[in-house]
Amino acid sequence: MQNKDGPRAGGDLEAATSNPTPDFDDWAKFGDDDIMQQQTAIRAEEAEKTPFVGDKEPLSSLAAEYQSGSPILLEKIKVLGEKYAAIRRTRGDGNCFFRSFMFSYLEHILESQDQAEVDRAKSNVEQCRKTLQSLGYADFTFEDFFALFLEQLESVLQGNGTSISQEELLLRSRDQSISDYVVMFFRFVTSGEIRKRSEFFEPFIMGLTNATVEQFCKSSVEPMGEESDHVHITALSDALGVPIRVVYLDRSSCDSAGVSVNHHDFIPAVGGLPNASVMVVVRICGCL
Amino acid sequence: MAEDKYNLKNPAVKRILQELKEMQSNPSDDFMSLPLEENIFEWQFAIRGPGETEFEGGIYHGRIQLPAEYPFKPPSFMLLTPNGRFETQTKICLSISNHHPEHWQPSWSVRTALVALIAFMPTNPNGALGSLDYKKEERRTLAIKSREAPPKFGTPERQKLIDEIHEYMLSKAPPVPQVHSPQASEEQPTNTDGEAQANLQNAGTIPTGEVQNPPVAVGDRIVEEVQEVPVNTDTSPANVRASREVPSSGLADQLLQKPENRAHKAADDRLFTWAAVGLTIAIVVLLLKKFLKSSGHGALFMDGS
Repeated sequence: MQNKDGPRAGGDLEAATSNPTPDFDDWAKFGDDDIMQQQTAIRAEEAEKTPFVGDKEPLSSLAAEYQSGSPILLEKIKVLGEKYAAIRRTRGDGNCFFRSFMFSYLEHILESQDQAEVDRAKSNVEQCRKTLQSLGYADFTFEDFFALFLEQLESVLQGNGTSISQEELLLRSRDQSISDYVVMFFRFVTSGEIRKRSEFFEPFIMGLTNATVEQFCKSSVEPMGEESDHVHITALSDALGVPIRVVYLDRSSCDSAGVSVNHHDFIPAVGGLPNASVMVVVRICGCL
Repeated sequence: MAEDKYNLKNPAVKRILQELKEMQSNPSDDFMSLPLEENIFEWQFAIRGPGETEFEGGIYHGRIQLPAEYPFKPPSFMLLTPNGRFETQTKICLSISNHHPEHWQPSWSVRTALVALIAFMPTNPNGALGSLDYKKEERRTLAIKSREAPPKFGTPERQKLIDEIHEYMLSKAPPVPQVHSPQASEEQPTNTDGEAQANLQNAGTIPTGEVQNPPVAVGDRIVEEVQEVPVNTDTSPANVRASREVPSSGLADQLLQKPENRAHKAADDRLFTWAAVGLTIAIVVLLLKKFLKSSGHGALFMDGS
């Protein structure tokens, strides 16, 4: 099913649906509509510039953007080049952290064919499901998202009927009807983890927004398009047991010993990949 | 019902069908919502006015539009029954308008939104778009009126659904006098209590159980024949309200209260009058018989009968 759907969804602008168009005639005269239309227009413009997940680019293409800019950044890009071969850009729509995590993680499984990791992830996902249930979420509100993610996780393992190639993974990551569902799955998982361990997360959240854990999850985690911060990344990494590295490409300069690139590692509290190899490079200046 | 008509691979359709199933397996007395058969993205709903407010007893109809991107985009709500809190035929957007400061999220559902809508009814509109700030009395009057008949809107198919929902909501609405009677008798001794005492005196030998019957009977009739006895049905919430807020109750409440009390009185009086008349006739007949017998005109009496 997915294979057939893939090519159709190549264009990111396309709303991934074939529903009967509802009659909006008498719904039109409302202020909120203008706001929504404007938001849609802005997103469409953004979508033209970058797909949800871009093609591989050499680091030099990043360097080219800063040729006339800060020499510190250029230095840092050079340092990055020693460790990383290429970058992919993600669309700056507020979901870029989750989206890039989705692609990196699934790509990692596709390349490593690590059955044990898939099994481990699945059991964590089941745990997350129980967490949400115990927090009082109605099953129907999240089960579609869970099912879709598990389907992707299965399909990157080769050797069964639904296996997919790297190209197909890229297409799916660009297909809104799949990509957004996986992003939303991560948002559910993140929200569940934060609520479950609200005592742990509360001080961080207070520092960040002065909101309660509940408010924070409602306003900054579960809605699509809300950007991710330290709290989100920690929660997601813990819930799924997957380590994440965020590399900050900023203008901060280091002392005498030469230029190095700041990064932050999120190591899950319990278990997870032993020698973490899943890393997400997030370019702080620009995307996030 | 709609399973075969829609593309189940469409995630929005899948989700909406799930919500529908969930709604049907856990029905609520506070609201009812169903999609049109021809378009699962178009729903009709009715909510019950929240208790202890000027909307109590009201049945407010509206329509819901689910976007193609549901549940990523919020559903749109529009009320059809005049209510004094939201404009009718104007979209209430629960996600980004003042009605709902938080953003919409896919973990919400039509059910969540309806519960939120009910909760918003008594809140201060603060000049939000599509909001109205009618006086309590006006809202109460509209609440009463809302039960009379469902709004007329849209295609015959939609109208059928609206009527169906209205029937359901009315059947779930609390029977009027049961709410009214205890309140009234507790708090308005001069009125109902006095009346009840008078009734008891009149009744004489009639067992006390029957004293409670008339109001119940009235209640049953109200539920079934709303159109015919709108006055009785509709005054109940206002009455309950009025009796709770005796000091502040305005002229409107007083006026509203009267018809029902009158109806009450009339029903009770009629019953007791007939009982008294019956008893009197029986006694007179017995006395007459005895008198005729004792005075030796028995034969005449027997002939007469």
